[in-house]
Amino acid sequence: MDTQQLVDRVRAGKIPAGVYSEASIHELERERLFSRSWQFLAHESEIPNPGDYVMRRILDDSFIVVRDEDREIRVLLNMCRHRGMQVCRAEAGNASHFRCPYHAWTYRNTGQLVGLPFHADAYGGESGFKKSETTLIAPPHVAVTRGMIFASLDPDAPSIDEALGGFGFYLDLYMNHSEDGMEVRGPQRWIIQSNWKIGAENFSGDSYHTPHTHVSVVEIGLFTEPKANRRKEGALYWAGGGGGTTYKLPTDDFDKNMAYIGYPEEMVERIHQRWTPEQKKMVGEAGFMVSASTIFPNLSFVHNWPRVREGAHVVPFISFRLWQPLSATETEVYSWFAVDRNAPQWYKEDSYKAYLMCFGSSGMFEQDDVENWTSITSVSKGLLSSQVELDSTMGMGPDGGTLHEPIGHWPGPGRAFVGYGEYNQRELLQRWAESLDRPRNGDVSGRSGWTSASPASSETGR
Amino acid sequence: MSDPDSGCQHGAIELHYEVTTFLASEAALLDNGEYTEWLALMTEDILYRMPVRVTKVRDESEVGGMDHFDEDFYSLTKRVLRLSGDHAWTEDPPSRTRRFVTNVRVLEGRSGDELIAHSYLLVFRSRLDVRPPEWVSAERRDVLRRVDDVWRLARRDITVDEAVLRTQNLAIFL
Repeated sequence: MDTQQLVDRVRAGKIPAGVYSEASIHELERERLFSRSWQFLAHESEIPNPGDYVMRRILDDSFIVVRDEDREIRVLLNMCRHRGMQVCRAEAGNASHFRCPYHAWTYRNTGQLVGLPFHADAYGGESGFKKSETTLIAPPHVAVTRGMIFASLDPDAPSIDEALGGFGFYLDLYMNHSEDGMEVRGPQRWIIQSNWKIGAENFSGDSYHTPHTHVSVVEIGLFTEPKANRRKEGALYWAGGGGGTTYKLPTDDFDKNMAYIGYPEEMVERIHQRWTPEQKKMVGEAGFMVSASTIFPNLSFVHNWPRVREGAHVVPFISFRLWQPLSATETEVYSWFAVDRNAPQWYKEDSYKAYLMCFGSSGMFEQDDVENWTSITSVSKGLLSSQVELDSTMGMGPDGGTLHEPIGHWPGPGRAFVGYGEYNQRELLQRWAESLDRPRNGDVSGRSGWTSASPASSETGR
Repeated sequence: MSDPDSGCQHGAIELHYEVTTFLASEAALLDNGEYTEWLALMTEDILYRMPVRVTKVRDESEVGGMDHFDEDFYSLTKRVLRLSGDHAWTEDPPSRTRRFVTNVRVLEGRSGDELIAHSYLLVFRSRLDVRPPEWVSAERRDVLRRVDDVWRLARRDITVDEAVLRTQNLAIFL
């Protein structure tokens, strides 16, 4: 597929269905998109103590995300410098050192090589092989923002703050609820026979599917009101590196709206201290609360508020998930539950329950989503169907503009529209197509982009 | 009753028979999509839990605070209501499932009305036409309670054998 043509088609809201299953497209994504984008690895609350680690991937690259003995967060390529064996094979745990099971090369949790059997006999000691200068490899960039640990494989990557741009404003609404940050549970991990982009697009802006795909969840009384209208009256925003959907809340008062979706008073008090006047204006005066969203390319968030017991008031939950592609047609989903570390215990438990009922491997929303996405992926493989241009023109005007005017006086960064529209899906896919149309300078494998292990220094954007 | 010699004792065989019959009937209800009837087997204080299994080095705990299921009677009822309605798209057309329940062991419960039943479960799940079949393998540790002279499920702890599930969702019960 000609990538310049792809950019043009996507810009016009015409999506060749084959982009959801063609191996050649996925090869381009690996080479030109995932090699350059910031990728989420872990939340710092997953590794609270020195030595705590989790093992995560960026596509096929395996990384150890570890807190060293000086409490610095390190991201280390999980590959012995000798013969390439994984030095860590557990998904999570606590270790001061990682020892390769093959020849026992041993690395401190800073990445420094400290054990090399028969160093003198086999290598002639330090003059023969510089053990003291050998570390596990670190990705070119690591950054932590709002407790979320990201890495980029691109030596020329912009900072995480630049990459997020205006989306940081909205990210705070999910992840900045008190001075001590969030804590997470998870992830749940499962594999779906679906292209990764479909979920990313859906979370970025598809409020249009909610009334139909998720009608069953409304019918069983999980919510206090019909979802369809609140969804249609919601705003769709895109700012910087991401975009999302919102629900319209019933009042123009911040405290009342926060209580309406189930935040207890003490949490609202803390949130008051954390959010800017504009952020509070978004939820108060303007009356929009974030729901689903996506940070380009493949990290999505969701915020919703079901009932967790009969006749009770609703309780909100926050979750984020990574759509980790395994191939053009398979995605591993990692889904976390997140909650304010300072929230009362009863709230943490109810909110967790709300999450499990709605999203994740058993979530009642998610179940129906995945069925749709699996079907799209499977159908798009056809000789005929792969050529079909799927329609993502909703909200486009006849003259190439938009059907409706953007919201005036929108309190947040970026642009926003009320009502249904595929503005964000087009935005996301446009970025995607532009990435594919941008060849890398030289061969990926020939670059010296990686660096020696060093701590994640760039604590940013609180 | 966990003592292998006790299998011959009077009452143990009958009890084992009752438990295997209960588990087989329960599996049949789920395989036949009779969710409301399945829900009727639960006590109102049911706890139905399936922790996420995490790959750990030997001697470190394999569970890390996240679950696939952590259900009570309310949430199970909602799930059953949904599957019994007309708009749970993911199960319409329904999956064809077959639950193989084996290795049943009956242990003493905390009171005379209760017993503990361990069993192995293998679920075969086929969706639509050419999709590859999906499997879920697990052990279940159940507490059965005798209520009005029939056995009910009061607690189920599911130990799944995969850290990364290879089934598209848990729109099925285990």
